Amino acid sequence: MENQEQRFWNPYLAGVALGLVLLASFLIMGQGLGASGAVYRFGVAALGAVAPEHVARNPHFSHVVSGGRSALDNFYIFMVVGVFLGGLVSSYAAGRMKVGVRKGPRIGVPARLALAVTGGVLMGFAARLTRGCTSGQALSGGALMSAGSWIFMLAVFAGGYAVAYFVRREWT
Amino acid sequence: MMLPVESLVEGYREVGLVVGLLVGFGFGFVLERAGFGRAPKLAAQFYLYDMTVFKVMFGAIVTAMLGVVVAAGLGLVDLVSLSEGAVSATYVWPMLFGGLLLGAGFIMSGYCPGTSLVGTASGNLDALLTAAGVLLGTLLFGELYPVLEGFYLSGDKGQLFLYQVLGVPPEIVAVAIALMAIGAFVGAEKVEKIMTQRIAVAASVVDEERRSASAPRRLAFGLYGVAGLLAVGALFLPVGQSEAARPVEPVRISPSELARRIIDMPWQLKIVDLRAREACAKERVPGAECVPRETLGNLGLQYSPGTRALVLMDESGPSSVPVEAMGYKGDILLLEGGFGAWRQWALETPEPPGPEVSEAERIAYRFRAAVNGALTGRAAPPPPAAPVQQYVPPKPRKGGGCSG
Repeated sequence: MENQEQRFWNPYLAGVALGLVLLASFLIMGQGLGASGAVYRFGVAALGAVAPEHVARNPHFSHVVSGGRSALDNFYIFMVVGVFLGGLVSSYAAGRMKVGVRKGPRIGVPARLALAVTGGVLMGFAARLTRGCTSGQALSGGALMSAGSWIFMLAVFAGGYAVAYFVRREWT
Repeated sequence: MMLPVESLVEGYREVGLVVGLLVGFGFGFVLERAGFGRAPKLAAQFYLYDMTVFKVMFGAIVTAMLGVVVAAGLGLVDLVSLSEGAVSATYVWPMLFGGLLLGAGFIMSGYCPGTSLVGTASGNLDALLTAAGVLLGTLLFGELYPVLEGFYLSGDKGQLFLYQVLGVPPEIVAVAIALMAIGAFVGAEKVEKIMTQRIAVAASVVDEERRSASAPRRLAFGLYGVAGLLAVGALFLPVGQSEAARPVEPVRISPSELARRIIDMPWQLKIVDLRAREACAKERVPGAECVPRETLGNLGLQYSPGTRALVLMDESGPSSVPVEAMGYKGDILLLEGGFGAWRQWALETPEPPGPEVSEAERIAYRFRAAVNGALTGRAAPPPPAAPVQQYVPPKPRKGGGCSG
């Protein structure tokens, strides 16, 4: 399997391709790319199915279900379904689809998975605080030269480099 | 033709959702092809031996940024309304702190929220758990929102763009960012070469042959160059110039008319007080922003959409429209007599008119007294009683109707 894998695209060409996807989204829909907002909507929809009163009471939950629409009736929900399908088709076609855990050689699987969940929770929390994640703020807002998006983007890199030393056994 | 296609948001919403699906497909596909379905490839960015994340991300930003600026230069799209529709406002503190936190989560999980979905689609269990964590994290934020609201809304700068902060045209900012990105790419490759030798695991992540291929790099940089030239060229297009050179006729507005418009439709006004900050902080027209004259250029008025009427005032004028405001696309109103006239009209307790005044003057006095009362908390003397007209009972109608 490993030697049937196609190679990754050249990063500069991948950058131009990603930029063209983003540009198409801007010019056709007037919207950038997004991921965390839609993940949040999935969460609110699931929570709403279990505890509808709880969702209705919290202003941050209820604003995504306002107007009588389901939390899932949203442009970005369709976009992340597309992201998943795009990843599925691309990894399958390139011979890279394989169930497993991706990690460095010096860490065990349980520790790697624990860090994956923890990092995910931090990112989900942070992405709501910043009104968008690396897709919505850094990429989309960065391309439109939003001051807040650039503050966010520099902070993401700063945060990553600051913590990288402490989790070096996870990757190197 | 103006982009974006408005009908995809409202009338043909379903088509718009399908477009969203297709855009997402392209997004996920490219992320996977770049190698972003695998955490070690993403994490390598933070150990400096493989900076694919940086190259792809900034390459995409530069491509889309130059594309939007060129499209705006060709008149296909309005940069400001697109930007204000697609980007959230700037909130300095949550964006700074949240960015640091997200960066920490990024290096711990090895993914960002979008790439965790691509990693999951490629079969990686660590990505699946990261995506589940992201979902829990967003819900956790929602649960804590009542406590966090104050911080969430702190450092509010409204919609703020780098070209407004710097006070230069967006085309120039875009080209400058593109040039910096190219410089940073060249620097990144040097750092990669050094760090690859120091980190043992690098060999399993880095595709050295692909990395040192120079043809794709030349192609990408060449594209940026062409787009950058087009963007700068757009600055000199006749379309842009005729708009900038639009003659600005100063229209004056009296204090009473300004008060009336503030009460009726405050959202249609952008009131800017050009006096020194201390004077403005002490007393100003309700809703006015304190922007000392020398900092007016920082507002980037020429880039704002001009949907509101711009009201300008200094202590006694201004007598003409300041240069920095000339590019403003909407109406420009100068307060007649400046803030001095406003102070006299609205903040000094008015003298009631004599009993022989006309009805119009009586109404004007009542309005002025009410504004003065609302702004100062002092009650002006009541207006003289209106003359009472003799009551004349209506003549009974003759015949017809149901009453007879």
